[in-house]
Amino acid sequence: MAIGFLTIGIIIAVIGAILYGRRLVKTEKTDAVFGNPERAKGGAHWVIVGASFLIFAWLYYSWDIAKAFYPKSANELCQVGKVTDSLMSLKYLFPIDERQHKSTDIIDRENKNIQKYIIEIKNHPELNNQDKIILLKFINKASLTIPFLTDEKYLDIETKIKIKDLTNRINQLTEDFQKVSYPPIKSIEEENKRLEALKKQKGWGFTGEEVPTLAETPMGLKFAASAKTLNKISDEFFALRNHNAAYTKAVTKLRDEIKAYRKGLPEEKEVETQLAKEIDKLARRIQYASIFPPKTLNDIEQSIIAFDVVQNEAQGSLKFIDAVFFPGGTILSSGPTCSEDGPGRWLPKPSDTFRIFKDLLKPSVGFKYVPLIWYEMMDVSKIVGFILPDWIADAMPGKYPVHNQDGTVTPNFKSKVLSVVTGEFKLFKIPIPYGHIWDSFLRVFMGLTIGIILGVPLGLFMGLNRFAKGFFDPIVELYRPVPPLAWAPLVITVFGIDNVGKVFLLFMVSFSIMIISARAGASGTQLSKIHASHSLGASRWQILRHVIFPNSLPEILTGIRVAVGMCWGTLVAAEFLAGTTGIGFVENVARKYMQYEVIWITIFVMGMLGLLFDVTIRKIIDKTIPWRGKG
Amino acid sequence: MKKIVSFILGSVLALNLSVSVANAAAKEVRIAFFLEWASPNQEDKVKGTFEKAFGVPVKWTNFATGGEMTEAMMSGDIDISYSQGLTPFVNAANSKKPITLVDVSILYGMKGTTCVVANSAGITKANASSLEGKKVAVALGTMADYVFRETMKVVGADASKMTIVDMVPEDSAVALANGDVAMSCLFGKKSIATALKSGKLMLSVKEASDNGIAGIDITSVTNKFMKENPGMVRTFLEITHEANARYKAGKSDMNVISKDATMDVKSTSDQMASFGFPSVDEQMNDYFAKNGILMKYLAIMGEMFATTENPMLKDYSKVVNTSFLPGN
Repeated sequence: MAIGFLTIGIIIAVIGAILYGRRLVKTEKTDAVFGNPERAKGGAHWVIVGASFLIFAWLYYSWDIAKAFYPKSANELCQVGKVTDSLMSLKYLFPIDERQHKSTDIIDRENKNIQKYIIEIKNHPELNNQDKIILLKFINKASLTIPFLTDEKYLDIETKIKIKDLTNRINQLTEDFQKVSYPPIKSIEEENKRLEALKKQKGWGFTGEEVPTLAETPMGLKFAASAKTLNKISDEFFALRNHNAAYTKAVTKLRDEIKAYRKGLPEEKEVETQLAKEIDKLARRIQYASIFPPKTLNDIEQSIIAFDVVQNEAQGSLKFIDAVFFPGGTILSSGPTCSEDGPGRWLPKPSDTFRIFKDLLKPSVGFKYVPLIWYEMMDVSKIVGFILPDWIADAMPGKYPVHNQDGTVTPNFKSKVLSVVTGEFKLFKIPIPYGHIWDSFLRVFMGLTIGIILGVPLGLFMGLNRFAKGFFDPIVELYRPVPPLAWAPLVITVFGIDNVGKVFLLFMVSFSIMIISARAGASGTQLSKIHASHSLGASRWQILRHVIFPNSLPEILTGIRVAVGMCWGTLVAAEFLAGTTGIGFVENVARKYMQYEVIWITIFVMGMLGLLFDVTIRKIIDKTIPWRGKG
Repeated sequence: MKKIVSFILGSVLALNLSVSVANAAAKEVRIAFFLEWASPNQEDKVKGTFEKAFGVPVKWTNFATGGEMTEAMMSGDIDISYSQGLTPFVNAANSKKPITLVDVSILYGMKGTTCVVANSAGITKANASSLEGKKVAVALGTMADYVFRETMKVVGADASKMTIVDMVPEDSAVALANGDVAMSCLFGKKSIATALKSGKLMLSVKEASDNGIAGIDITSVTNKFMKENPGMVRTFLEITHEANARYKAGKSDMNVISKDATMDVKSTSDQMASFGFPSVDEQMNDYFAKNGILMKYLAIMGEMFATTENPMLKDYSKVVNTSFLPGN
């Protein structure tokens, strides 16, 4: 329901925004100059159009619009799919969906294979003439079995009756299918049972029930019932073989002869054995294939086509809905279930995605026992313990306490200091966030911060000092072009699979970018500005702090923006390799269990986090270097 | 404006068409297989028996995990997956993918997939519960995942209290050696050999089989291919079973197989000796029967890997079709 309103809302918003945009263009037209940057300002209405198109594409290609406006269509298409499925094995023998009769196709292929064998045997260097003659005789006999199958006069009377019977049954079904009362209600009990089962059936897209399989509408019932009948017919037809007496005799004789020949062969005649075996296989392949005389199956073909036409007509408006609202695919029936085939399968519906996202956000659910993002109360003492090094306690005078005769331990000054520096005491508690999203965020933040802290000074130094430039240039320039992920396997073996390895990888990414940008900023400072401040009596430190650093800030901040993007890309791939938490870990595990909704949620979360970082940095840029782009 | 609208409409139409045409039948058979996982039919693969029998070209693609095989089958790039693990197949069946199990291809004891505990962790099956709270490397969604959960049940440790690291076998063997994880559950001959240099088996091969832990690889086909080319499915299984019979008679060309499996002859022979290639009779009597081994495993694994979105199926016999086995 909500999706329906949303769809209509989007369409109205797009039309409104376009109309507004056109009017705005008209008023501006008189005094506009092409290329005036002022004209690119504003334009929130085009943002609406752009975003709306994105949402609309998602709704449309995930078939959520079909679900909102035609909630029963999936169920009906499932029933149609059942018919298509059972027709498929009936149709595949005939040139209905294919270009040729299956029989023609097989005969054509096997005739070619026979020719190949003849050439192979004739030219084989290891065969003696006697064996060549025998093998050629076998091949000839195998090819002579085919006419027994394709000649009308050999056809068994039972096979004829069977084909006639199947044809009649399909014709009967076609007739019944057109009646309003089809399928007939067998008994009240059965009808009640059906209705009872229907009540238990959940709707389209509910958890565990991709597409409901039991027919819900009269039209669906019709298709479901005919699919059942067709399945029986198709099974019988599938088992039908043209094994008439003359053919069976010929093929049995041939296979017996081959067997006798193979038995008589000495062990070392491997080539002969192999060839004889292959000829035997070829004969059996022909035996198993459904080869019939060219005109025998004409009636059954016509009846199948007739039914196909009728069922196609019966679909009525459903065909239209299928074509328009199920872009790029349809509902397929296979085996016990119906499934979405096409973008509906790998592009989850927004409604389902948000429902699952809401579930995942619950701290008690989460993903693999870890919530996406939540908080836990942590004592501040832990932070104190982390910051203070443990050796402070060791450096204190005295000795650690020893247990006494009563079996108790009395703490002394030294052991009390130890418990302070290791954080084993109680202070007050503060909430600390944790979870997959927070872990990923923290890794990027740490890697980026360390990269900035070390990279910016080094970059500035390289930009100002000949020694630094010459000394560090080879190292930096050698490692910088290597894609960060190329380091990943190495980093994992050296630093392990914990945070250290991942943060180090991200540090490598941000470090080189920061060096390059800080260096470019420093060396780009105008000499006149430095001269001016020098003549005004500025010290070296003051020149660096007040002239060179502000001058390189635009470059540095742009570098940070680039580094953030690179860090996200690297992080997710690093979490793919090994991890216990993080967004990349969630996505990788979801892939293994085929949870496509979860995959899209992680993609969405990553996009949002990247956007958050970028917006924050843009705000910082606007605040700290308002002069950028204005000089 | 008009241009924009027509461009958008045009591209929407093109997208709709291209998606539906992408799966049109190609005139070749595409088969998925594993490297370092030797099987007798690789001899036929190299010698071109399959091409001769199908009458069309055959394209073989190797994969790293069975889950990737399923993904490729769903995108229409693979028709037959040979020796896919039962776990990825069950995951696919639970999420209602249109694929069908047609054959039990390889049985392997715990030599093929197992859990290795680091020597430094000092953990054996007697005190396995001390694994709780520690890090454990598991190749999730594979047969190793199943072996991990079953092994933990046998030794009485709570898997949900461990920190599970998802790692492919190659990485997980290294992580075990580095002491990053206390245990690693993995598959593949080389990876297990690496892991065993710094660890011990959690359960011996015999203990595992006594507790009903077994590795089963199966052959799966897409329903579309099965419906359209039943003869080819049958031919594929026929050649495979003939190759198995040839191997049992000791007539397989191990040089050819080992080269194709990218291993040396000795490791190939060792590996294949530890595998079972069940004949059609064995399969019909022991595996596919009503309470047969395979049907039991399908139900156990189906429940094990069920999620709220993809719950277990009520009846797994509907994703199994034995009518293509030779002689059936």
